Amino acid sequence: MKILIIEDEPSLNREMVNYLESQQYLCEAVTSYPEALEKIECFLYDCIVLDIMLPGGSGLELLKQLKVDRKTDGVIIISAKGELDDKILGLRLGADDYLTKPFYLPELGMRIEAIIRRKNFQGNTTIEFEEIHVDIAAKVVEVNGQSIVLTPKEYELLLYFIVNKNRVLSKNAITSHLWGDYADSYGSYDFIYTHVKNLRKKLLQAGSADYIHSIYGTGYKFSQK
Amino acid sequence: MKLFAKYNRINIAASIAVFLAGCLAFYFVFRYVLTRQIDESLRTEQTEINQYVKEHNQLPEIVEAYDQKISYQLVDKPVQDLRFISQKVKTEKRKRYEDEWIRLLVFGVAVNGKQYEIRVSKSEMETEDLLILILLIAAGMTGLILVMNYFINAFFIRRLWKPFYQSIHAVQQYRLSGQQNLQLPADPIDEFDLLNKSINSMASRIHADYNILKEFTSNAAHEMQTPLAVIINSIDAIIQQEPLLHLVEEPIFTIQKSADKLIRLNQALLLLTRMENRQFESKEEIRADLLVEHKCNELKELITVTGITMEISVVPVTVYLHKYLAEIVFDNLLHNAIRYNIEQGFISIELTERCFSISNASAIPPLDPAKVFQRFYRHPETGPGGNGLGLSIVKQICDLAGYPIHYRYQNTLHTISIAWK
Repeated sequence: MKILIIEDEPSLNREMVNYLESQQYLCEAVTSYPEALEKIECFLYDCIVLDIMLPGGSGLELLKQLKVDRKTDGVIIISAKGELDDKILGLRLGADDYLTKPFYLPELGMRIEAIIRRKNFQGNTTIEFEEIHVDIAAKVVEVNGQSIVLTPKEYELLLYFIVNKNRVLSKNAITSHLWGDYADSYGSYDFIYTHVKNLRKKLLQAGSADYIHSIYGTGYKFSQK
Repeated sequence: MKLFAKYNRINIAASIAVFLAGCLAFYFVFRYVLTRQIDESLRTEQTEINQYVKEHNQLPEIVEAYDQKISYQLVDKPVQDLRFISQKVKTEKRKRYEDEWIRLLVFGVAVNGKQYEIRVSKSEMETEDLLILILLIAAGMTGLILVMNYFINAFFIRRLWKPFYQSIHAVQQYRLSGQQNLQLPADPIDEFDLLNKSINSMASRIHADYNILKEFTSNAAHEMQTPLAVIINSIDAIIQQEPLLHLVEEPIFTIQKSADKLIRLNQALLLLTRMENRQFESKEEIRADLLVEHKCNELKELITVTGITMEISVVPVTVYLHKYLAEIVFDNLLHNAIRYNIEQGFISIELTERCFSISNASAIPPLDPAKVFQRFYRHPETGPGGNGLGLSIVKQICDLAGYPIHYRYQNTLHTISIAWK
């Protein structure tokens, strides 16, 4: 899977590259409009991570160019502006998703995964991890062929874990994914703990191995180990 | 008191004082003139009597004349000089005794070696009548001044002050956050023109400053987004270094929490500036009942986990709001009700055609209704989490939509209600 990252802030660009490479993606990164234009004209990517405010031009112009070239690259806009109008304009110009800065990298991972899945598999929407099988279209989870019943949040959590497997996921990133803007509503992280505990119990009961590891007080990691 | 009423009061008092003084002066002048006239006629009487005595060597017979009386009295010593006296006497008039002012001339005459004191008096009735007349005129004129003032006030003053009240009305209606600058019209009256010009220039200065400030807030908040993204994702990179994590776990966790707080705060500020920039003008019809039910469903799991009991009663209601803002209103209120609840707590949601109200139990004592919607107002007993902007955002949205919002504390429940009508 090839991903192009267009972001002018070098440290954020580097973090995104590091993260996506750790998720087994092939990454190319550029920091300005002309470089980005050259890349999208010459190559095809599975997904483009696009910042709107770029030195030398607007990311929206790049979107228009993609449309003119009839390219089918998936595009996710990452913007500091987060204005509703920008978002609507971006999506109308052909972007697949819109993420407002600041965001957690695992969240970006989730969105990219979803875009690529939609583009490549056309309806075949399943994610697997060892004996766990998730049918995203039907929202059904099976362990060893046996379906288990999860609450909506537990389901979200499992998907998040699988997409971001082998990574330490901070509690902040998890709460932010599950509750969006209201992540801080709940002074403690007890709710995360409760959801994780219930999810783990259900997976173990269905005969799955224990993949959810608690990492000190920081967060969780979903891996074989 | 109105400026003109005050001015009028002074003006009327002064007019009446001058008028009364004038009447008084008139009165004394006329009195003086009339008294002199009477004295003149008394003197003529004296001359006539003296003449008579000289010619006939005896006193004339007393002839009764209208309002003139003469009396003779024999005295021992000759009367030295003649005197004019004004005095009050009782006279009979139409069978009634009345006090009457008279003018009296006393002089002496010698007839056949006998000394007589002669008193000639005339009534001063005319003078008295004059006084009454002048008083009547004074009272009438004073009344006329008051009546005239009333009519001037009623018909002209109101018209004269109209531009002033128009300006005041425009200033009252003026909202700094509005897009239009205040433009008061030029006025032919110098004072009002000066007022309007001064207000216009002040408003445009304030408006310019306000815009700079607003732009600054908006830019500052935007500029913070990217560095915040760098911070949280750099932390994310650090925590991937598992073997090192146990050494830095504590500070990393603290940084993460603070960064998270900063992110929420920044988002709330951005939302507020966007509202102030009127980026949510487009309203649409929203089925409040569906939205409330949807939001409650989203939070059902969380509510179950926290052991909170929730009572919901909704009827189909359509409200007029920007969709995005409507979601924020219900999100903020619901999340607040959960966040500040107690264990095994209680939430009650009621949506009727007239209002939406949400009540929750809480360990926090009653809040000050005057402050509860202020930015960054937090009760000292409020725990961590939350940024003190949630309710002020809700309030601003309701203000924008024209729905009054109220807080009250009743039966140990904190209640926020929004009136639709």
